[in-house]
Amino acid sequence: MNQFLDMVLIGISAASIYSLMAISMVLVWRSTRVVNFAQAGMALLSAYIGYELVARVGNFWIALPLAMILGAAFSAFIEFVLMRTLQKHSTQGAIAAIAPIIATLGLLGLIRATIGFIWGHGDVQLEAPLSKVGFKFGETTIIMNPMSLFVLLFVITLMIIVSIIFQKTNIGLALRASAYAPEIAQLAGIRVSGIRTLGWAIAGAAGAAAGILQTVNGTGSLTPESLEFSLLLVFGFIAAVIGGLESLPGAVLGALILGLVLAAVQIYISGALVFIVAFLLLLLVLILRPQGFLGSKAGRRA
Amino acid sequence: MLKKHPIITFIFFGFILFLISNRLDELRVYQGATVAIYAIGIGSLILLIGYSGQVSLGHGALLAIGGYAAALARIYYDAPVWLTFVIAVLAAAIGGALLGLAAARLSGPYLAGTTLALAIGLPSIANQFSILGGEQGITFDIGLPPASLGEDFTQYKWFFWICWLAALIALYWLRNVMNSRYGRSWKAVRSNDVAAELAGIHVGRNKVLAFTISAGLAGLAGALLAMTINLASPGVFPLALSFSLATGAVLSGVTTLGGVMIGSVTLVAIPEIALAIANRYGSETITTNLPGLLVSALLILTVLFVPNGPVEQMHAKRAKRGHASHSPVEISVRVGSKTWSTKK
Repeated sequence: MNQFLDMVLIGISAASIYSLMAISMVLVWRSTRVVNFAQAGMALLSAYIGYELVARVGNFWIALPLAMILGAAFSAFIEFVLMRTLQKHSTQGAIAAIAPIIATLGLLGLIRATIGFIWGHGDVQLEAPLSKVGFKFGETTIIMNPMSLFVLLFVITLMIIVSIIFQKTNIGLALRASAYAPEIAQLAGIRVSGIRTLGWAIAGAAGAAAGILQTVNGTGSLTPESLEFSLLLVFGFIAAVIGGLESLPGAVLGALILGLVLAAVQIYISGALVFIVAFLLLLLVLILRPQGFLGSKAGRRA
Repeated sequence: MLKKHPIITFIFFGFILFLISNRLDELRVYQGATVAIYAIGIGSLILLIGYSGQVSLGHGALLAIGGYAAALARIYYDAPVWLTFVIAVLAAAIGGALLGLAAARLSGPYLAGTTLALAIGLPSIANQFSILGGEQGITFDIGLPPASLGEDFTQYKWFFWICWLAALIALYWLRNVMNSRYGRSWKAVRSNDVAAELAGIHVGRNKVLAFTISAGLAGLAGALLAMTINLASPGVFPLALSFSLATGAVLSGVTTLGGVMIGSVTLVAIPEIALAIANRYGSETITTNLPGLLVSALLILTVLFVPNGPVEQMHAKRAKRGHASHSPVEISVRVGSKTWSTKK
């Protein structure tokens, strides 16, 4: 029973971070039909910026929102400079379908090299601002600790904010409309290109939060070639695909499924199998239900 | 003459390489061998991206299959060298076929993500099987060059010969496949799969076939790579290798095999250039970070401004000036009032 509780708690806590990553990929995919493989690099950059801000401001609680704002600005900048130019130039021939993918790959390399130039290749430590000792209930200590509880609550709050933006505001309506039917949205007077940039900006903020929370909730160490962040990218992608790559609730659901499955593997079988199981899960979903569990069939075609 | 008999071009090129290899020092010979390996890897990616419209960001994983298979065959069955390469090609092709079966159902971003996931997870997969030797990997030793080649025939020169012989054969064969019925089918599928299907091309089967062939070539490149390093381990096939190959393919231009040397030479030259710059300014930060920076910047610039590669760009320019262009394959199908065409 105790093991089961541990599994659920580990699963949910991992899922909260995967879902942030998945949401940022879904937002980018919806707004520009690009899967942003540079998201890991952008999250890593945000984590480094968070580290720098903590070092200068001295307060994690100010650094976190600041880093998210910077992450959003950077992401919007990338859309504005890179993606728009790309749309103008690479429209013909074999490359057209894959140019955005290749471009985000180049961006990933660029970000990593830049991080290496600025912060070097050694370990950088971003300390957790809260205790990582599990809560006690009487005699038993559970695996949930103040830090991971904060991560969970913070992510839930972000989700609520994002869903309010999407469901209740005009901006959210414009975001949904330009994803669903860009030309009609344009006819209705929505500035689709601006809305796209906004989509990237929100994705950048979510990715930045994912990067920082992943770091403080995990080991706290950062390196430019961090495998942890590559895995975060893969798990975010898998979560997004399980949910259908189109749908925000789907991304959260996908992250929950992935988080719980991986936690179960980790606790009941072996931690070494986590990646293989995640990869098999991805293949399984792609073969059995390529449109995901909450996506539309049409969404599969790029 | 050269256009009509491409095999003469290949043999001529091989002869020049043979002459060059006798005049270079060890480091250059080693780099030359690396160029050959990249050429095979990039060629296999060009086949996949430019001809069948599928993209793989994890080709390093397929190279790894080849490298490990060759090393295992050598260690456990003491297979002769040429046989290890055959085994590498077959093993990677089987792996590619399995991946291709899943891939044929997927379009762009899904396939890219899946292959990327495979490349990222490679070390953790390799660690699962004790036969693969974990982080340290397993050695792949093809032995000394035959004594008949003389005393001063070095190990690296031997590698250089093997790599280039394999590369020339592989590229010549690849060129022929691309110009065959299959190549035309793949191009049609890439341009417009509905039109291709209506014209009687089995889209799924063709995609799987393309993936299998590409994987087989990647396996060959992997075995050669493991040979030059004497080792098959996760570190020999890092994620960066997959990215380098994708970069090389884009730099070469994904629509023709003609530019394959551009990409492979660039990939080998960039670390050299970075090293030269770093030596000038005497900084370790530059040495470690500049290659990545240059490669990535070059990749982004290419995608933005020469998206279809330099060779294609030249063809396009010549076509504009009124010379006959190389004609793309075109299929159009009319059903009722609707027309599907592979012409963009």
